[in-house]
Amino acid sequence: MERKEHLLKHSEWMKERPDMPVVLSSRIRLARNLEGVPFPLGLTEEASQEVEKKVSQQLEELAIDGQKLTYYSIKDLTAIEQYVLIEKHLISPALVSARGARGVAINPDHRASVMVNEEDHIRIQVLLPGNQLKEAFHLANTLDDELEHRLDLAYRENEGYLTACPTNVGTGMRASVMVHIPALVMTHRVQQLLGALNQLGLAVRGLYGEGSQAFGHIYQVSNQITLGKSEEDTLTHLEAVTLQIVEQEIHARESLAREARVTLEDKVWRARGTLENARLLKSEDALQSLSLDRLGIDMGILPPHQRSFSTLLVETLPASLQYILEKELTPEQRDEQRANFVRMAMSEVKETNMEGGNHNE
Amino acid sequence: MLCQHCQQREANVQITKIDNGEMVKLFICDQCAKNAPEVSFVFNPGIIPDFLQSLFSVTTNSKALQEEACPQCGRRLSEITQAGKLGCSGCYDKFQAELEPILRKIHGGGYHVGKIPARKGASLREKMEVKKLKEKLQQLIRNEEFEAAATVRDQIRKLEQKLGE
Repeated sequence: MERKEHLLKHSEWMKERPDMPVVLSSRIRLARNLEGVPFPLGLTEEASQEVEKKVSQQLEELAIDGQKLTYYSIKDLTAIEQYVLIEKHLISPALVSARGARGVAINPDHRASVMVNEEDHIRIQVLLPGNQLKEAFHLANTLDDELEHRLDLAYRENEGYLTACPTNVGTGMRASVMVHIPALVMTHRVQQLLGALNQLGLAVRGLYGEGSQAFGHIYQVSNQITLGKSEEDTLTHLEAVTLQIVEQEIHARESLAREARVTLEDKVWRARGTLENARLLKSEDALQSLSLDRLGIDMGILPPHQRSFSTLLVETLPASLQYILEKELTPEQRDEQRANFVRMAMSEVKETNMEGGNHNE
Repeated sequence: MLCQHCQQREANVQITKIDNGEMVKLFICDQCAKNAPEVSFVFNPGIIPDFLQSLFSVTTNSKALQEEACPQCGRRLSEITQAGKLGCSGCYDKFQAELEPILRKIHGGGYHVGKIPARKGASLREKMEVKKLKEKLQQLIRNEEFEAAATVRDQIRKLEQKLGE
């Protein structure tokens, strides 16, 4: 597969899972290091190249469903491509800003991406759509087993997997879910929820922007503790909390529909109006309108459209937009192109509806 | 939110304390925070790097110790303290004693109970198995299920023999 074709693909995690409301995606990250080699921060340029070579060679031998991973060295990617990978959550911003030889191996449908020489030598990541923490862990664990046969990984009986930062030591696992909770935000219950999650040993952050003012009403919930708790216990705990969040969000949606039906309908229809008609659309406006549009679709107020929520979120971000349109754009040009792009995506709805025989209007 | 300690003033400090190896988070007011003897440490969530550094600096006291270096990567304890990050797998062995309280503060105590790598951990897995069987043995004895206990005891012997080889 050509590099551009591979990177432009809609990642597996962006698919809609109508059977799994509220939870957009699930992610597992495992941090691993080579025994006896300084962690990336302490590597000379030459030594980092050796680690990159050694690890990437092994990564390119790995396969998922018979299809191999492809390794991209950061130095071979354009700045836009690096940011596209960040926007698709396939790499962290820290990988781009790190020094030395580094990169990422990605499988064809982007379910798995393994970073080399970020903060740790190896960071295995699996991202799946909807609420699928255990499935994501299973796949990440399989890749880890494969790597362990090929590389000498740093591990101690008491400390578990050794990592550059002591906050990751033990399982080296960070499990997280991305939740879309507009009704909890609108009913001012989100602060309370965030406080409660903190008390349960979970970290919460807005995906776009910070705190309770997160754009797009999307939050990431993850475990904080990695030592003294098994992977399975951590996942079970996070899964139980996630189900609670889903339940609360659905509850809040029901009470909005009951007590403020017209206000809610007005809000989501206005969002749809913005997406269908705006000629200039800032990133934050797009996030906010797409979020409300999705809420309207989920609640049966708005007709659905063809592209998934996550796909639209990612493809209207600056780097992805420029990569798709194949040109560099100033921020002002981006707002115009973003508006055009979204209008086009919205118009796909009507065409498919017509094809579906919906001629009632 | 009201202070969970005095129930009178507004809570403005988040506390994490270790209670019997369990990490407990409390939201209390700054006055109670000053007077609370059981408090392990106080931090402002959201400033993780500083928070890590402060964890390290609390536990390292002697100057000579600060200048000791990891034989594998050459990183000194003072450098680890400053960055809040370790240099290599060897740092974990060299500074195990200094790290232990820090790990306890971050994770609330305990040792690794998660995945054991297949290749490296073959004997580790058996050790864990022995640990588990010994707990089971105690349970069976308490319940006076001596026949089952004898079977478990034999299993333990077998595993220990294998480990001894």
